[in-house]
Amino acid sequence: MLLLDYHNVLIHSLLTERFSGSTPVSIDQIVSDFDGVTFHLSTPESKTKILISIQVKCFRELVQYGAQQVLEREYGPYIVDPEPGYDFSVLIDLENLPAEQEAKNDLIMRLALMKRNAMAAPFERAFDEFAKLSEEASRYTTESAPQGVKEGGEVMAIHYREEEAIYIKASHDRVTVIFSTVFREETDRIFGKVFLQEFVDARRRVLTLQNAPQVLFRNDPPLELAGVPGLQNVNDGTLSYVTFVLFPRHLTPQRRYENISHIQIFRDYFHYHIKASKAYIHTRMRKRTADFLQVLNRARPENEERERKTASGRTFRVQG
Amino acid sequence: MSTSLRPYLQCVRSSLSAALAISNFASQTSERHNVPEIEAASSPELLLNPLVISRNSDERTFIEPSVNSVRVSLKVKQADEIEHILVHKFARFLTQRADAFLILRRKPVEGYDISFLITNFHTEAMLKHKIVDFVIEFMEEVDKEISEMKLFLNARARFVAESFLTPFD
Repeated sequence: MLLLDYHNVLIHSLLTERFSGSTPVSIDQIVSDFDGVTFHLSTPESKTKILISIQVKCFRELVQYGAQQVLEREYGPYIVDPEPGYDFSVLIDLENLPAEQEAKNDLIMRLALMKRNAMAAPFERAFDEFAKLSEEASRYTTESAPQGVKEGGEVMAIHYREEEAIYIKASHDRVTVIFSTVFREETDRIFGKVFLQEFVDARRRVLTLQNAPQVLFRNDPPLELAGVPGLQNVNDGTLSYVTFVLFPRHLTPQRRYENISHIQIFRDYFHYHIKASKAYIHTRMRKRTADFLQVLNRARPENEERERKTASGRTFRVQG
Repeated sequence: MSTSLRPYLQCVRSSLSAALAISNFASQTSERHNVPEIEAASSPELLLNPLVISRNSDERTFIEPSVNSVRVSLKVKQADEIEHILVHKFARFLTQRADAFLILRRKPVEGYDISFLITNFHTEAMLKHKIVDFVIEFMEEVDKEISEMKLFLNARARFVAESFLTPFD
């Protein structure tokens, strides 16, 4: 498994099972996802009515950027009042499902992608803003461009984890997505640096990646974030800013859905591979240590303490 | 094996073999005690001249002989941050298993990454030339292991980055 899935596998398998027509059972399950997102699947009224609630740390920010509209578009008729303690809920009636298998699968997938859809709102908004700005900008030449167009839209901040955030900014010729990420320990920091350097170099090195977004990283806040409140400028190397520059070719309506899903998963993907490398190196050291032990054990002479017998089969006994 | 590694290891091997001329020696200061004199350092007459063998500025071996024990400390090459962290992790990993390694010192001598403490009891229980073989093999393997791990990390990072960026196309 190299790339992570965009949807929540547990919700997906659970709903697939329920939707397949097996006898309804009561469910009460809490499902965790990346970035501190929690789902609650339950059957509060009857066994055929499944309530799915999601809790996102930064839901209030997301609503500000239009998450409600995106979720209404995706889950329209299923939306109910949010369950207490959660931010958003949908209710699925198993007796009232779409008839065709395909529509069912689509619904399952859409529900499993709930976190993705909630987080997608600011991205969609930035992409729309980019379309508007680029249209505006096409009316001016470089010299006559008024200030507002050049500078682009406001920076949207999503504080999706305790200390980490995503910043999104649309301009007339690109959309900039900045991840701030914290490394808990020294090893992570150094491994992270190696990985990020490869992200930066990949585009230059590989011919087929010429069209990929440009990646930059630095330890102090990039200039795009100047004036954004709540930025800590601790320059001890624990905080890194990773910038993705999405070019117009990534922002076309055809590519948009896929690219929003993909860029959202970056932080989890990145940290997942750092942890995986650490685990691999650990097993490697373990094996190497065992080898060393073997070499050291070779230094011990073999024990010659076998029981000695005479030709007739009698043994010696030590006189005590 | 590179040209400078062979004479370096050869030198460590002969110096260590010579230093391992140790015998049982009870403590002069407290009755019924028998401690490694290199650690106790209770009397200067029991300590021999320490010896540093350097391959280059950041790779060296420090041999401290005494009448009944020898302390060997290694400094492993650390060209950059990654190697530094890998050496640090590896050394920590080994010292946590010092019990099984018998001759491994739990804490390296200051300025070195890993130390061995060989006492007369070890040379009595084990074959002396095999102990020297172990130290030499250890030195060879550690270098190899560190550079392999570094290569692996870079290769993985490269692969991971390319796989992530490909779907954008």
